[in-house]
This record gives sequence, structure tokens and C-alpha cells, in this order.
Amino acid sequence: MNESNRFIAEFYNETEELLSGVEDAVLDIEENPGDQEAVNRLFRAIHTIKGSGSMFGFDTISEFAHHVETALDNVRNGTVPVSKALIDLILVSRDRITAMLAEANGAGPPVDPREGEQIIASLKGLLRSDVAEVPVDEFPKDGPEKACVPDAPAPQNEAVYRIRISPDPDIFAMGMDPVMLLYDLADMGACSVMVHTEKVPDLENLSPESCYLFWDILLTTTKSLNAVRDVFIFVEDTCEIVIETVEEKAAALEASTVPRSGDILAECGDIHKKVIDEESDTLSKERLKPAQKEQKVVPQTHKSAVASTVRVPSDRLDKLINLVGELVINQARLTQVASNINDTHLGESVEEIERLTGELRDSVLNIRMMPIGITFNKFRRLVRDLSSQLHKEVELITKGAETELDKTVLERLDDPLVHLIRNSIDHGVEPPEVRERTGKPKKGTIILSAGHKGTNVVISIQDDGKGLNVETIRKKAVETGVIPENAEIPDKKIFTQILAPGFSTTSEVTSVSGRGVGLDVVKRTIESLRGRIDIDSVPGEGTKITLILPLTLAIINGLLVNIEDDFFVLPLMSVEECVEIKSKEIETINGRNILNVRGNMVPYIRLRDRFHIAGRRPEVEHIVITNVNDSRIGFVVDHVIGGHQTVIKPLGPAFRYNKEISGATILGDGTVALILDTNVLLESA
Amino acid sequence: MSVQGITQTSQYLTFKLDNEIYAMDITTVREVLDITQITKVPQMPDFMCGVINLRGSVVPVVDLRLKFGLEKAASLREACIVIIEIILDDEETVLGILVDSVQEVISLEPEQIDPPPRIGTRLKTQFIKGMGKKDKEFIIILETAKVFSAEELAVVQTTDDIPMPETPGGTTAENENDD
Amino acid sequence: MAKVIMTVDDSTSIRQMLNFTLNQAGYEVVEAVDGQEATDKLAALHIDMLLTDLNMPNKNGIELIEWVRSMPKFKFIPIIMLTTESDTEMKQKGKAAGATGWIVKPFKPEQLIAVVKKVLR
Repeated sequence: MNESNRFIAEFYNETEELLSGVEDAVLDIEENPGDQEAVNRLFRAIHTIKGSGSMFGFDTISEFAHHVETALDNVRNGTVPVSKALIDLILVSRDRITAMLAEANGAGPPVDPREGEQIIASLKGLLRSDVAEVPVDEFPKDGPEKACVPDAPAPQNEAVYRIRISPDPDIFAMGMDPVMLLYDLADMGACSVMVHTEKVPDLENLSPESCYLFWDILLTTTKSLNAVRDVFIFVEDTCEIVIETVEEKAAALEASTVPRSGDILAECGDIHKKVIDEESDTLSKERLKPAQKEQKVVPQTHKSAVASTVRVPSDRLDKLINLVGELVINQARLTQVASNINDTHLGESVEEIERLTGELRDSVLNIRMMPIGITFNKFRRLVRDLSSQLHKEVELITKGAETELDKTVLERLDDPLVHLIRNSIDHGVEPPEVRERTGKPKKGTIILSAGHKGTNVVISIQDDGKGLNVETIRKKAVETGVIPENAEIPDKKIFTQILAPGFSTTSEVTSVSGRGVGLDVVKRTIESLRGRIDIDSVPGEGTKITLILPLTLAIINGLLVNIEDDFFVLPLMSVEECVEIKSKEIETINGRNILNVRGNMVPYIRLRDRFHIAGRRPEVEHIVITNVNDSRIGFVVDHVIGGHQTVIKPLGPAFRYNKEISGATILGDGTVALILDTNVLLESA
Repeated sequence: MSVQGITQTSQYLTFKLDNEIYAMDITTVREVLDITQITKVPQMPDFMCGVINLRGSVVPVVDLRLKFGLEKAASLREACIVIIEIILDDEETVLGILVDSVQEVISLEPEQIDPPPRIGTRLKTQFIKGMGKKDKEFIIILETAKVFSAEELAVVQTTDDIPMPETPGGTTAENENDD
Repeated sequence: MAKVIMTVDDSTSIRQMLNFTLNQAGYEVVEAVDGQEATDKLAALHIDMLLTDLNMPNKNGIELIEWVRSMPKFKFIPIIMLTTESDTEMKQKGKAAGATGWIVKPFKPEQLIAVVKKVLR
């Protein structure tokens, strides 16, 4: 059934989230064992996993969760104390459930049942012997719903039951309307109902909220006695129910026509039904009156304080973003065409469309933004595990968790960040003894922070470890022939050598890092996100690695320029100003291209030359001065056309090595403009 | 005599380059366009003439003449861009091929195709799937996967001081850049 | 006019399943993720029946049932609890708070509808 697939997909999603919450809660409890709220959160999460697991057929997961729940229940009521053993065990259990989910999903290998049994045995071991464990097999099989499903082998003979229902006067307060019982019985076969009104008091003494009626029913049915009993399963405490099996049908038939002494004669069904209905109508009307006064329609005049979310499959979102992108392009074209037509009405409409398209674009792009805190949270566990594995003491501090990033960027940042943190712990932070000796606090600190800067997101990983040794790195780089022996290269550039493939200055290789394999992958990933890595370090004090990434991959705010017939786009955020310049005024100082702008020296790149564009230089050129990594640089072009915002079209693998061009965009008239990566241009200046 | 690998009658799109007839398996061909504005991309080898706007997508265009070491076309009057779909680095990519003119779609049976000659053509043998013969004319059937492979297309041209990733594969003797 | 049932459970997957099953059977459904959201919504809503989990954050099922019973407009509506097998204590508390009946997890969609029919038609 297609629908059940949908529920199962939702179950996977939900359980993944719950498991992540489990990890958080456990780590919180570890830091603060008195945190009852965290214990409750933990218990509820496991409880939900158990419940929904069994609902959707994941019985093994549900059973396993049951054992964890039992242990947690005992933690909740204080019988089992919070200990490192407990924390570790819960974490292991959580991992186990994750593995079981992956197996069920086809995303992971089959789990070893013995491991599961071991975990369960350990969990049980935590419980003191005098603590009662909730028995797993005490599922009451006699739930009402079981009886409601038609019995398998229906007794073919009809039987007649005489049933007396005498409800408590307060039965309505339970939400039960006795007429429901009558309906249930009527569903099972032919029914003759007689209502007794003897106990109904005078109007003055009558309370409309009480039930004074009782009923006698003759039911002819093929259903079993148990099935009949099950009708009353909810009201066993609030009604007096008497069920008697009457003689075989033949005898009963006789009984219905011939008056029997001592027995209440069941009259023709119709009349009684009418009586019943009237009675129940009266009662129901009384009951319903207050309810009927309420609105039937459901306008939410109250805003619920709970924020609601909707889960959307990623590909639908991608499709939406593509469409919005196309819309933006075409709206730009519309604006351009409309500007050539002098019509105020048209102009107004087009302006409004431009405004709306802009809003739509912003809203849609915003949908994909998620706080980086989600990723940061995962690292708490990582740091804990790694520190103990490597015998270091490390504390993780996070800042700027609310900083939002495009979801795709966030996902791709996972691995690089993990690797960088690993590196910090493995190679940066010194062992506690060493730290003490050098006067540092025993516990090392790693600060993970994120923030917005312009249209970029800046993420940094800073440790207070031993820092990078410039000389060692320089030597290694010279050894491998990457840099010439006596070159004067600023420290910052030396540091980035560690990002080169195969680069490693450690003589040992640990299982965690040191093979020189990871950092170049980090570099490539960051570059593929059109970002940059900066490294700064002070020996003995620590290292800071900074990642700078664009906020979104999809749309760019750019400045459109042209040289001859070629159009280019420069990222607008980095643009500071545009200056008109006569070609003869451009100077060369010491062979380098530098321009004097109001007394400041600004180096420049003449794109015409850089890109070998044929044609003669115009007399008047324009220079676009940008600020790239705190350095100013100018780009000389023929004309600056204006601000241009549009969707970035990737150029594809054929242009992968053309780093100066980060993509292309389509202008309003269909021309293709190339988007320039100012960082790359600057570096190769 | 037939060619290994060609076991059934297939359809091919034929086109001309410098008066020779070439062909490509029709299954890779998406569409054929008249020549249109090509935006040049700097720092690329000559045979990568640039990119075009194909209904909102940016598609790179290869000048097949230059790729095969021929001279640049004198006239682009009848020139067409053949849009093909290939796998480049495990990614499905759309590519445009600039040719002198496009002829027609023909069917060739395996018996009509001979294996490529070892000598006598300026093309590398691996670029040629086979030699077809129709109406007394020879048709050079291209092995598109080889002609437009990642190594053949993504050639690096850069002068940075800090090392870039190494040039993949080898630049072929093919790329005699005539200027 | 279709009857309106409110479903309250902090598990999204279970709520989805409940809603789908009840919709198929012709009931209109209103959802809430916990007792607090339920009471917020019920201030302005009319429902014919309540179906609620017991173990939830922000006001659990028992508290919700007590609150609902204290509202004159909901004093007599049927309330069904979603329980798990080991919840006997909770089940008793639920009954004491005024619940009409219960259904034990795990249950099949048909079982859910059968129980609903026992208290709401």
C-alpha cells in the first residue's frame, strides 16, 4: 500500500530525529546528572520509538527500545543512578537502534543479534535485583479492539441473548452514550430493545447530566458470547451488564410471540426503537445544546504558540528553486523589454512584478536556510569520543549556532568540519601532562564559531594547542619541490601548504589522522562550494582555521561589465566603487600594475589582457575596485553596465579547471555572461 | 567484414567537416541547432569555442574542426551545432559540437561497416568506431565516448605559482593548435 | 456533516497514520503534537471526539483529559486513550480522569476504526 510507505518514510525521519535528541539528552545528563528534564526527554524519545516502531512493523527495534525504556524508567524514578556506565550504555543502545534502522532501510549491513543481546543483558545488569522489571510479555491480548475485528470462525448457529444494561447515572461524564452500546448490539444481529423509564424522576429532580434509563435487549446473532461481552468492554466499571443465553432460536421465536411468565416481553422492534430514539434524542439534545452553540466552522482565531513545520522532500524544493530562478531571468528580460516601451501602466505593472519576484526569490532561498547549530550539535559526541580515544581532555565551545546556511552547503560541510576537528584534537591539542608542564590548563579548548559577513558565512575552528611550525612546513614544502628554496613567501601561504594532497609532517600515522589524505579533500570540498580556507597559527598558542563560504549557491548579486562584446559579472558584495579612467592615466610602478585612486595605491588587473580579448583598448576605461580578503584590487573593463541579479548556471565538468570563471548567467536578452571568481583572480595577480 | 561491437543495424547522423563525411550514433544526439551566438570563455584551448544559451541552460561548444587538427572553418554559413549527451566524469553532460553542415540520418547495417584503418587518417584510431560505406562514399563513424572524454576536453592552461591539480590523462598528439 | 476527531500524539508518524485512517473512514481530523497545543486549539474549536496519547511533553494525556472534561462543551464527548501494554497505571489514571475507553499500541487501522465506532457514530 502506497500510504504505508509514506508512514514508514515518516517513521524513519522521525526516529532519526529522536535518536539525535537522545544523544543530546544523554550528553546533557552526563554534564548535569540532576537534569530531570533531560531524563524525561530521553525517556519519552525512547518510549515514542518503541511505540511507533511496533505500529509500523519494526518489532525488533520496538523490543530493543523496550529494554532501554525500562532502564530509563528506573532512572526516572531514581532507582537507578546516573553513572558513566549508564551513559555509555545508552549511547551504545542509541547507536544500535541507528544500525537497526539502517539495516531495515537497506542503507546498512545486517546487525549481529548477539551484540543486541549483550546490550540488553548489560541494561538488565544495571537494574538492581529488587527492582521490578516490566514484563515484556504482559501484553493484554484482550484489548477491546481485538473483539471488534470479526471473529474468524463464526458459529453458524444463531443464539439468542438477553441482555440487561444498567448504566451508572454518571455514565455521560465518561463520554459514553449508552445508545452506542445499542448500536453495537444492533450491528451484530436482530435486536429487540426495551427501555425502562421507571427510574426517571420528576422534572424538578431530574438532572439532565445523569442517566436514569436502563435497557433490556433480546439479541439474535451468530456471534459468540465473548463477542457480545466485548461490546461492553469500556463500560464494565460504569454499567451493570447481565448477559444470558436464551434457548435455541426456535424456542426464542416462540417466546417472542407467546407471553412468558416472569419475563419482560420484547415488543415489536419498531415501536421501541422509536421510544429509544426519542429518549436518546432528548438526552442528546440536552447534551448537544451547549455544543451546538459553538461554531461548527473552524477558523483559528487563536494562534497556537507551537511553531509548526512541514517536511518537504528535497527534490520538490530544488524544483521550486529552479522555477523561481527561471522566473527571475525572465522577469529581468520583461523589465528590459518594457523599458523600451513607453507605457506607464505597463511600467507600473512590470515594476510591481519585479518587486514580487524579488520577494519570492528571497523567500524561497530562505526555505533552504538552516541553522548550523544542527551540525555543531553532532560534534559534541565526536569530541567526547575522540578525546577519550586519544587520551586528551578537550572541551568544545560553540558560538553562533543560530547562523543559517543553505542546506546543501551545510550537508557538504559535515565531513570537512569533522576532519578539521579531528586534526585539532589529534595534532593540535597536547596531552594533559604536556599542557600542565607548559602552564596551560589541563583541558584543551576548541572553539567552533559561525557568523555572517556580507554575503558570506564565516566558520572557524580554533584550538589552543601547540600550533603549526612554519619552518617544518616550509622545509617539507621545499623538499617536495612545491616551493623554491629561497622564495619569500608569507607565513599565511606557508600554512596553506598543509592542505596540499599527501602533505604530512608527522612521522607517525594514527588511526585518526596523519596520513595526509584528509586536508586536501577538505580544501577541494570547500572550493567546490566556492569557498576559501584561511589558516593562522602561533606556535605554542594554537591554530585557527577559517572557512569562508557564500551564503547561497543558487543566485548571485553581481555587477555586469563588458569588454568588447564579452560580458562578465563580478560579485557585487566585494565591489567597493567604480572609477572612470582614461587609458593613459593608468600607471605601472616597478612593473606592477598600480593605480592611484585619491591618494591610495590600488593594484589592478586588466581583464582585457588577462583574458586575451582581441580588439583595441577604448580611450576611456572603467576600473571596478573590489575588496577581496581585506585587500583592494581593481579590474579594468570597458564599461560597467550595472547591478544584475540572476541565477547561476554551472558550466559543467568541461570547465572545471578554469578557476577564474565560477559559473555563467543568462542575461535578459539571452546572452551568456561569465561570472568571475575575484578571489582566484586576485591570487594569480 | 564487420566491426566488433556493432552487431545491429543502427541509425547515424551524418555531418561534414572539411568535405569529409562523419557520423555519430543517433542515440547520443539530442538535437541540431543552427549556428547561434557563442560566448567565448577565456583560458580555454581553441577547440572549446565557448558556451551557448540553450533554453536557459549553459552548454559548452566544441569546434570539431579544431579538435581534429583541421583549420578553422572559412565560412560558418551552413554551420550547425549538434547537441549531444555524454557521460563526463560519471556525470551526464550536454555538449554542443560545431560542424560545417549536417546531412541526414541514415541506417547502416553491421555488414556495411568496416573496422577503422590503422593508417591514412589524421584521427587517432580510437576515435573511430568504424568506416561506413553508403552509396560509394566513405563515412567516418566516430566513437563519441572517446572523442569527448574527460581527458580530451578538460585541458588545463594556467600559470599559477602554487601548484594546481595535475593535468589528467595526457594531452593528445591531436591537439596541434593551429593559430 | 462529518464528525470531527482531534488526535493528539507527539509522534509525527503515528499522527499521520491516525489521520489518514480516520479520514478514510469519513471523519474530519484536527491534530495536536502535545497537550498544550491541544488545549490551545480546543479553545476555539468544536470536536466530537478526542483521541490522545498519554505520554507527551508539555502537558501529558492525563492532564489533557482532565482539562477537556472540565470544559462544559466537552464534558460529554468520548475520549479514547492510546496506551502501550505496560501502561496499566496510566490507564487507570486516564479512566479516573474521565476517559471513555482505550486502544493499545500497536494496533491496526481496522482496529482503530472499530474502537471509534464504539463511541462515536
